Order: sequence, then structure tokens, then C-alpha cells
Amino acid sequence: MMVLIILTAAGILAMFASVFNGRSVVLPVSLSGLFAAGYFALLEWNTNTTYFEAMRMDNFAIAFTVVCLFAAFVFLLLYHYMHYSSDVHYAEVISIILFSLAGVVVMVSFTSMLMLFLGIEILSLSLYILAGLKKKDLLSNEASLKYLLMGAFATGFLLFGIAMLYGATGSFMLSDIAYYLGLHKAVAEPFIVTGIIMLMIGLLFKVAAAPFHFWTPDVYQGAPTLVTGYMATVGKVAAFAALVRVFQLGFSPALETYQFLFAAVAVTTMFIGNITALYQKSVKRMLAYSSISHAGYMLIALMAANEVTNGAVLFYSIAYTLASLLAFAVVAILQQKSGSDEVSVFNGLSKSSPLMSITFAVAMLSLAGIPPTAGFFAKFYVFSAAISDGWVWITVLAIINSFISVYYYFAPVIASYMKKGNEEGIVLATPVKVLLAIIALLTLLIGLLPGSLSYLI
Amino acid sequence: MTAVAWLIPLLPLLGFIINGLGFPKLNKKVAAIIGCGSVLASFAIVCSLFLQSLQTPLNHRIDLYTWIAAGNYTVSFALLIDNLSVIMMMIVTGVGFLIHVYSIGYMKEDEGFGKFFAYLNLFIFFMLLLVMGASFVIMFIGWEGVGLCSYLLIGFWWKNREYSAAANKAFIMNRIGDLGFILAIFMMFAVFGSSDFDKVFPAASAFTTNDSIIIAITLLLFVGAIGKSAQLPLFTWLPDAMAGPTPVSALIHAATMVTAGVYMVARSNILYSIAPVTLAVITVLGTITALFAALIALTQNDIKKVLAYSTVSQLGFMFVALGTSSFDAGIFHVMTHAFFKALLFLGAGSVIHAMSGEQNIRHMGGLKKALPITSFTFLIGTLAISGIPPFAGFFSKDAILTASYFNSTIIFLLLILTSVLTAAYMFRLYFMVFWGDFRGTHHQEEHLHESPQSITIPLIVLALFAAIGGFFGLPEIFGNHNWIHHYLSPVFSQNTRIMAHADSVMIEWLLVAFSLVVIVPVMWLAYQRYALKTVKVTLSEEQLPFWYKLSLHKFYVDELYDYGIVKPLSALAGLFSVAVEKKMIDGTVNGLGSITLFLSSQLRKIQTGNTGFYVFAMVAGMVLMLLFALAKLNVF
Amino acid sequence: MIPQIFQTVPIEHFVYLSAVLFVIGVVGVLTRSNAIIIFMSVELMLNAVNLLLVSFSSYHQDPAGQIFVFFIMAVAAAEVAVGLAIITMIYRNTHSVDINDMSRLKG
Repeated sequence: MMVLIILTAAGILAMFASVFNGRSVVLPVSLSGLFAAGYFALLEWNTNTTYFEAMRMDNFAIAFTVVCLFAAFVFLLLYHYMHYSSDVHYAEVISIILFSLAGVVVMVSFTSMLMLFLGIEILSLSLYILAGLKKKDLLSNEASLKYLLMGAFATGFLLFGIAMLYGATGSFMLSDIAYYLGLHKAVAEPFIVTGIIMLMIGLLFKVAAAPFHFWTPDVYQGAPTLVTGYMATVGKVAAFAALVRVFQLGFSPALETYQFLFAAVAVTTMFIGNITALYQKSVKRMLAYSSISHAGYMLIALMAANEVTNGAVLFYSIAYTLASLLAFAVVAILQQKSGSDEVSVFNGLSKSSPLMSITFAVAMLSLAGIPPTAGFFAKFYVFSAAISDGWVWITVLAIINSFISVYYYFAPVIASYMKKGNEEGIVLATPVKVLLAIIALLTLLIGLLPGSLSYLI
Repeated sequence: MTAVAWLIPLLPLLGFIINGLGFPKLNKKVAAIIGCGSVLASFAIVCSLFLQSLQTPLNHRIDLYTWIAAGNYTVSFALLIDNLSVIMMMIVTGVGFLIHVYSIGYMKEDEGFGKFFAYLNLFIFFMLLLVMGASFVIMFIGWEGVGLCSYLLIGFWWKNREYSAAANKAFIMNRIGDLGFILAIFMMFAVFGSSDFDKVFPAASAFTTNDSIIIAITLLLFVGAIGKSAQLPLFTWLPDAMAGPTPVSALIHAATMVTAGVYMVARSNILYSIAPVTLAVITVLGTITALFAALIALTQNDIKKVLAYSTVSQLGFMFVALGTSSFDAGIFHVMTHAFFKALLFLGAGSVIHAMSGEQNIRHMGGLKKALPITSFTFLIGTLAISGIPPFAGFFSKDAILTASYFNSTIIFLLLILTSVLTAAYMFRLYFMVFWGDFRGTHHQEEHLHESPQSITIPLIVLALFAAIGGFFGLPEIFGNHNWIHHYLSPVFSQNTRIMAHADSVMIEWLLVAFSLVVIVPVMWLAYQRYALKTVKVTLSEEQLPFWYKLSLHKFYVDELYDYGIVKPLSALAGLFSVAVEKKMIDGTVNGLGSITLFLSSQLRKIQTGNTGFYVFAMVAGMVLMLLFALAKLNVF
Repeated sequence: MIPQIFQTVPIEHFVYLSAVLFVIGVVGVLTRSNAIIIFMSVELMLNAVNLLLVSFSSYHQDPAGQIFVFFIMAVAAAEVAVGLAIITMIYRNTHSVDINDMSRLKG
């Protein structure tokens, strides 16, 4: 609860600061807000504190909160160093980020469907606005409108699902729904089945799983690159946490109604994401398809629905978040410099900025799942979750997919190391350099010591 | 010394980090010292381990830390030091060090000097991880890592598209192999609950012979070996990989990385002994590869291509050794091959250096006057690979031939034939390069010179080992102690299913006699044909006999792949895309990737940009999901 | 607290009505190309859900459903505020709110 209050208060402070000409205090206020929120979240570790039967700060919620706070921290710093002087809406952007984090905290800790809905909406409304930040840019406008229309449409499904489940079970509480499902073995009731599937669709839209992924490439490409990074990390991870929470805490007694759907969606998502990514010239769009495919891998863990699922999804989220932050940060910096996001802007990057090229290479290795990076173990955990329940065929398909993905992840890395390009050095602010180095090291460190994380949950 | 064994892979890794971060600011001398020094230090530690292992056999597991814990599975980051891994470490660090030294001279003009040493060190690190890992997972990390380094180093000179295509080809072919390896690992997790050697092998021993699960695992592992060790049908990447700098060809594509498959099979000998079916597959495939590659090597004109095909052929020999359960003979041949093939490649590098980058042997000739050291050491390498006693290759090849004799007469005869061909193409190469008249340009002739010491010293050291390396495995019938057999017996004697065969005195003497009676005339023929007569500088295709063309064009395997797989797929893709959208296929249709790329080009058209369509797709998806879910529960 | 009249109508009727309203909303989103009309159709979907929730609430004699409806109304209002702002922004730039014109991002 403290976490929510702090984040909202920091957001309000940041918003008012710009009114009273206090641009310079925005970053200190928001960063201290983030740290305080992280601190209070960690204070509740192992306590399982419940707030009004609406939210429960269990370890799952805290871990995901901290991951998202970290991603937001990176985003804020990058935004500060890249746009402090150029963006008149600097303070508003930062306050919207802080508000959206309040939504994230609700999304990862809810125990009632009402809070799920509120959390998703708080986050989504913020993201609709952020996608359209560049008001004069037609692509940004288009991204914002597409996201809004489709997002609102998906919310309709989500709500319809919640209403159907409420009609069948008489409650919005996850625990009550699970109890009802377990008690009645009423999985064949059309209300329940329709409710679960409609709700699933609403959430699958948010995590960008096929065939509800169509908004992703367009919105990711049109939105300002840093915002895309924020959507691809915080937006996706929070939505995934919500998906896992609903299905693990609420619907697991009805596993047989939806397990095969998750399997089908996971496979379709992986193939569509990875195969379509092959042909992309824009790195941003390629990363958008890659983020679709990662949703597919994570869905495999969710589909397995066993005791390792939560840990696997958390691990995957961490690995994916770190690598995506790095990738989008580098793309954003390069795009600001050259005005393009095509693979060719990476030409000669190893000469003009060795740090960026090496960190980007680490990010790509991790996303491709090559040892010894965090991404390899993320996939390993997911696959072992599937294998331990005998899902061999889906694991084989996933491995084939991860081999396909190597092809497009390497294209920009090859360009930065093997091709000649502009060799003029790129100057980065020291904090940005340190940040990039730290994230890259974290990715490698988790790859070398993955055991340390897997005990968390 | 086992207490500091973890330093062995760590030192080259440190070298990589320093050289990698320091490039290009670090000066070349410092980069060379760090690059060579780190490998030398590792080599020193390995040597002390080796001396220790001579007294008491090592079998030491170093658990660095628990790496993964997922449910019931744990993988600890553990290294295994036993006699098998020590001998492999000796080869990797020893030969690796010599090649590092050689690279100082070879690459001294290159602007990517520091980067080159960084990559080489990284390669040594991953290769050591591969041979030292105590589980298949660790081995796989090394396996992937060496593949990555190979890819980076093949494409090191990014001068032309051909080189990048070669790097891509190597990459894709190796991916196919890796798919087999990783599936095997997952099967091991499913069946044994672990991939640690000390859990998998005892658990596997309980299985009955030809158990289908073990056959599946071993076959999948062997698919990995086929990719990495360039066996049929995935061998075409290795000759193309010669695009990389010559020290890379010597280190990665001759002495170490390509033998990883042999090491892996030897390491998992317990699994393979349970699956005689797989062993038979290995034997047959190895024999065919050996013969096939030797036939191709007969007519190649690029000095490195001849050596590359000869590597493929020798790898075939090693696999025959494994397939006939003579695991120690396989490892012995890995060792001697590392000596003489590294020597030959480095010699070839020295020649190419002297010839200002020329690789066509039809433009060489008479180089023995200008390059006496290179010529002499190359001769030793040639004698060793041709199996002339008492040079190294004779004894290791002899062990394989003996093993194959007890396995199958046909295999034995085919291998004998391959040995003759080996002598033929190697002496053809030697005489064409070093004897006769010079056939290059005037400019090249003026430029001819012996290479600097940093190149010749490694040549001399390797020549020494190529000459005497065979005595490590002298057959018992010569009244000696077969050292390598006894040295490795602690590893292989745990395997109770290896069928021991007696050494046959008759076979040994037969083989010695054979080398003198058949191979020497072959040498003489090669001398007549290539040293005394004038060699044509260019060949006119029409005059060539059919078999010659067949061999020259590598049995059209590349063309076969091209016409059989690549072209039809491209044609199909072109047909569709011309009909639907003209500029869809921009040519980049390459290898097995073409069908995926084609799918990609089609799939991205679904992304129309039209919100109405997106919404429609969502609704369609919803309807489908509802229908399936409700139908499954028999609601209707 | 819940008027008796609602409980005499069978629950199925409410479900059918709101399902029909929801589908009308979905069809509206599918067939119209004016962004504002699409938005209205989405609102219709949300209101169908509201009706459904209220009727279930009365059926279960449980006020939670009605409270949920208030939250949906509040969130929908916020969504409309954001949505109209975005549509206005686009109208300023392109003088059109036709979503068929909005397909620069594709592939």
C-alpha cells in the first residue's frame, strides 16, 4: 500500500514541479520515489501482507514490482539524459510513468478481478498517451490511435469475461473462483468456459500473443523508441505477471479447459514472431516481433502450470527485461543521433562506440538464448517446466524457434562488428554509460549464477 | 595441482577480456604478449597436471558452484579432470600456444591484430570448457562458444561476400548439428534427470544393449558431432571455412574444434557401447566420409582446400576408430592429427605468405629453394599424414586400420584405399608446391622469402612432434608398452562393454609392408608426374576425364544442395512473390533459411496496417478459441 | 435493496440482452471506419458488460457487481478523455479520423 502511495505522490509532485518552474527537481523526486517504493516493497518480503482482500504483496508480487521499478528507473534516467532540454513535456512524461507504475503494482499484486481491471487500465491509459508523445509525428499519432482503439476493444473482452465468471461464481475474488472451480468441477459450464476464454483473450492482447498481437509491431514502431522500450519491458512483464496470477491462483482447477489453447497460442506466437522478424529492416520493428516471440516462450511455462511455472516466468521476465532495456536503449540513442532505426545504422558501431556495440551484442545473445547469458537459462527453465510435464513436442518447436531467432538477432551485431560505417565517436553521458555496463554485466552475471535467482519464489 | 585447475580456462578468458577491451588502443606487442602469455600459463598448469597424471591416473571433479536449480534438476558448474581431458587440454593449449606464436608473425600487418588475439583466446577458453566440462550442459556451452568463435574468425576478413557466405554456411550447418545435441541433452534430463557424466553413465549402464532410448540419445549426439566434425552430409562448410586466416584454419578447423565431435563420442563411450547400432552408423559414415573427401582432395588446386578435404577425410578415420570401439585409437589419432595437420596448415600459411597471398598450387612450384625450413617441415607433415613409418600418422592410422580389420573386411579395404589416396594427394601437393619450376608471376618470384622466426619456430616444434608423436602409441607387438592405451585405460576401462581385440602381429607387419610396397610407389608416381614434368598452369575442362571432373567439382555436392534444396525453394518463392508482389524476394535466399525467409516475407503481409483487419483477426481468434473450448467439453 | 421486479425476470434474459448488445458493439468496431464511431461501439460493449454485471449482482443478491459497474464507468470516462484527446490530435494533423487512412505502419 505504501508503494502505491509513494508512487502516486511522486507522480503528483513531478507534475506540479513543472507548473512551478521546478524542472530540475523532477528527476530527484521521481528517482527517490522509485527507490522508496522499491524499499517499501522489499520490506514486505515474506510477509504476504494482504490489503482489504484486494491486493496481496506476496513474494511473486514483490519480485515483479521490483523488476518493473528497475526498468522504469532505467527508462527515467535515459529519458532525462536524452530529452531533458529538448522535450517541453518532460515533467509530464515522467509523472505519467510514475502513475503507470501504480497500475503495475496493482496488476502484479491483485487478488480481486476488480483490481486486475483497474491496474490494467491505469497502465494502459498511460501507455496510450506515451505512444502519442510526438504530437506532430504522424506515425506516433497512428500508433497511439491504433493502440487505444484495440486496447479498449480488448478491455471489452476482459470485462465480459470477468462478468461471466462473476455470474457463474458470484464473486470477483480469485480465491473464491478457485474454490468454486475446485468444488464443482464445473469446468463444462458454458459461463465458466466463456468467461475464462474472454478474460484470457483480454490478457493475451496485453502480452501480445498471436492472433491478438497485431497492434504490437505498429505501435512499437510508431511510438518514440524509449517509450517502446518501456512498453516492451514494463508493459509486457506486468501483463504477464497478471496473466500468471489469474491463471495460477484463480483458474488452475480448470486447467483442462484452457491448457491446449495456451499450447496452440504459444506455438503460433513463437512462429509468427520469429519468422516475421526475419524480414524486418527496421531494428525497432524486429525487436517488436522478437518481443512477440518471447511472449510465446513464456506462455509455454504458463501452459505447463506446475510448481516451477512462477519461477520460470519470473526468471524469463528478468532476463528479457534486462536484454530489452539494453537493446532499446542502444536503438534509441542511435536513432536520436542518425534519425533512422534501420540495421545499417549499426554499421561500424564497434568503432564509434565500443561500449554500445558490446552491450548490444550481449543483449542480442541473451535474447537469442545463447549461453552463458541470462537468456539461455530463461529458456532453459521454461523448457524444463514444459519437459517435466511431458510436453516434448512443444519444447522441440520452441528450440527450433530459438534457432531461427539467432539469424535476425545477429544481423545488427554483425553490422556493428563487421561492416564499415561512420567512425565518428558517439559521446554518451557517464551515467548512461555506467547504466549500460551494469545491465550488460547483470545479464552475464545471471547467466553465470542463475541458481541465485531461482530460489526467490 | 588440481586445486588451481580452474585457472586453466580462466586465463585465456582474462586474455580475451583484456585484449577485447583494450582493442584498438592496446599496442600490438602488448596484445601479443597477453594473448600468447595467457595460453602459455594455462599450458604450464596443464603440463603439471599431465606429469601428475603420469604417476597416478586423475579422476577429479571440481564443483565450482551450483549453476541451475529448476525443480528436480540441478546442474552444477563442474570441471572434470581425468586422463582423457588432460590429454585433450595438452593438445588444445600446447598446439594452441604454438599457433598463437605463429599468428604474431602471420598477422603482424593486419589492423585487427588485437581483435584477432582476443578471438583466439576466447576460442581457447571455450574449447577448454568443452573438454573440461563435467556435464553435457557445460560441454554444450563450450560447443556453442567454439562455434561462435569459428563464425567470427571465418568472417574475420570481411573483404568480400564470399567470406561472409562461408561464415553463414558454417553457422547454419552447425546449427543443424546443435539442434541434435540440445535435443539429446533434453532427453538425458528426461531419462536420467541430469546431464552430469557421473550420473548419466552409471545410470545408462543399467540399460540393455540396443535400448531404443539410448540409441536415440546417441544418434542425436552424433548428429551434433556430424555438424561440428564435418562428416557427411554436413561437411561442405569446412572447405569453405578456409576463407578465414590460416592460423584459424590450423587451430580451429584442423587441430581442435573439428575434433570436438570425436572427443564427445569418446567421452560418452559408455552410452555408445550400449548402442551398437549407432556405432555401426558411425563406422559406415566415417568410412564413406574418409574415402569421399580423399577422392575430392586428389584434384583440388587451392592449397588450403586440399588440406581441408584431407582434414574431413582424417576425421572420417577418427570416427571409424570410435565406431569400432577403439576409443583410445580415436583419441590417439586426434593427437597425432593435431600435430601434423596444424604443421601442414601453418606450412601452407608460410607458403601463402611468401607467395603474397596466392593459394593456387598451379601457380607455385620450386619453392623449396626459397623456403627451406617450410619445405622440410612440410615434407615431415606429408610423410606423417601419409602413414610412412616411423612418423606419427603411421601408428595412429595403423591402430585404426587394425581395429577396422577386426570389425569388417570391407571397411578395412576401403580405409586402405583411402590411405593410398591420402599419400597420393599429399605428395601431389608437396611436389607441386615445392618441386619443379616456379609457375607464378615475376613479381611473386622476386618477393619469395623464408618466413620470420615466429613462424618457423612453431613449424619446427610441430615437425618434431609430427615425426616422433607416434611413439606415444607404439603397438605392443614392437615389444613396447603402448603408452597411450595404458594412459587412457582408466577412462575407458570403466566401460565393460568394449570388446577387446588382441593385437595381431601379422596385421602389424602387413601394414608396415603395405606402406612400403604401395605408398612408396605412389610417392614415386607423384614425383614423376608433378616434380619432373611441367605442371599445367590452367586446366581446360573439356580435356579432363570424367572422374577427374567429378573430383574437381567435389562430386557436385554443393551443386546438389544448391539444385536440390536451395534453388527449388528460391524458385518457388520467386514464383509466388512475382505473382503476389514483385520485389518481395530480394535475392537473399540462402541455404535452408530460404523457406523461412519466404514464409517471413509472406507472413509480414498479414500485418496490413489496417486496424479493421487487426480487430477482425482478434474476433476470429476469439471465435475459434471459444468453439474449440466448448466443443472439447461437449457443450454443443 | 434490490427492487423485486429485477428478480422476477429470469437471469437468462439479461444475459441474452447484454450478449446481443456486446455483439452489436463488436460488429460496430468491425464494420465502421470512423474512429469516433468505433469508440462509441466500444462504449456500447462496456455498457453491455455493465448491464450484465448489474443483473448478476441482483441475481446473486451481492452488491459487489454494482460497485464494479461504477469503476467501469469511471475508467470508461477516463478512457474517453484520453481517446478524444488522441483523436483530436490526429484530426489536427491529418483532417481525418478515418482509420483506413491510418495504415502507414505495416509489414
